[in-house]
Amino acid sequence: MKLKLKIKGKECEVEILEEGEDKVKIKMGEKEFIFGKEEKKGISLIQTSIPKRNFSKKEIKAPIAGVISEIFVKEGDFVKREQKILFLSTMKMENEIISDFDGKVKEILVKKNQEVKEEETLIVLD
Amino acid sequence: MPDLEFKIKKFKKIPSTNQKAKELALSGVAPWTVIVAEKQIAGYGKEKVPWFSPRGGLYFSIILPKSKIEDLQTLTILAAFIVAKTINDNFSLETLIKLPNDVLLNRKKVAGVLTENIIGKNVKLSVIGIGLNTNIEKFPKELEDKATSLKIELGKGVNNEKILKKIVKELKEQLKTISE
Repeated sequence: MKLKLKIKGKECEVEILEEGEDKVKIKMGEKEFIFGKEEKKGISLIQTSIPKRNFSKKEIKAPIAGVISEIFVKEGDFVKREQKILFLSTMKMENEIISDFDGKVKEILVKKNQEVKEEETLIVLD
Repeated sequence: MPDLEFKIKKFKKIPSTNQKAKELALSGVAPWTVIVAEKQIAGYGKEKVPWFSPRGGLYFSIILPKSKIEDLQTLTILAAFIVAKTINDNFSLETLIKLPNDVLLNRKKVAGVLTENIIGKNVKLSVIGIGLNTNIEKFPKELEDKATSLKIELGKGVNNEKILKKIVKELKEQLKTISE
C-alpha cells in the first residue's frame, strides 16, 4: 500500500509492506522502518491517519498432530499473548498451546477429544 | 557447559519433578538442569495419571534446550529405549518397551517417560520427565499386578545416582545427534 503523507509541511511518499507476523515495514525513500514486536529502539512510530488493518491473521494452529485434551477459553473471551489456550496431546507428549497474540476469541474450531492434523487452525482471534 | 555435562538440583519431596522443572525453566534456569526428587507427592504420567512415587524410586526431569517439536518427539521415543537399554546393560534384565512411553519388566511397568512442552509461535519450553521404579520394595495392592521395580526383580538395591547420570548423558548425546 502506497500513500502520501505530509510531515513537517513536506510531502513524502511512503510504502507500507507486511513483514511477517505482527511486523510492518514502512519504506520512505531510501529509508526503511520496521514496526511491530521487534520495533527498533530509538525509532518512534509516526502518527498517521492510516486506516487500521489486520496485517496478519490471528490464528492459533496445531504445531503437531494430536488430540485436543482440554480447551481453556471460550468464544468471546479476551486472551493475552502467552496465555494458555489448550492442551494438545500426542502419543508421546503433552503440549500446552499458548496464544501468540492479544485478542478476542472469535471462533473455536475444535472440540475436546478431537483429533487434529499438523498446521490445522484451532482457534481464530479477532 | 562442556558437551555432555549437566547440573543436578536435588529435592527431598516435591509435588512433581516435571512441574518443578517447568517452573524453573520459566524463571530462567538453564537447559540441561536435572531436577531430581527423592519423593513426589503428586507425580503424574500421560494425561495426568498419577505416578506412584515413594522414596526409593528415581524421579527426575530435565530442562531441555529449545528444539524443534519433531526432534522433541523423537527424543521422547528414544528416552524409553535409553532407559530400557540402561536396565538391560547394567542389570542383565530383559525389558520390553511399550510404545511410546513405558518400559516393562516381567510384563509390569518399571519406567515411564513424559515430555511436556509449552508452544506458542515456537517451542517456548520443554521438559522431559522420567520415573523409574528402582528401589521400591512394595507396591500398593491396586498396582501389584501392573508395576514392578528393579529391586523386586533383582532381589537387591541399585544406585539411583549412577543410573540417573547414565540416562541423562545418553539423552544429551542423542538430542545432539537428532538436532544436527
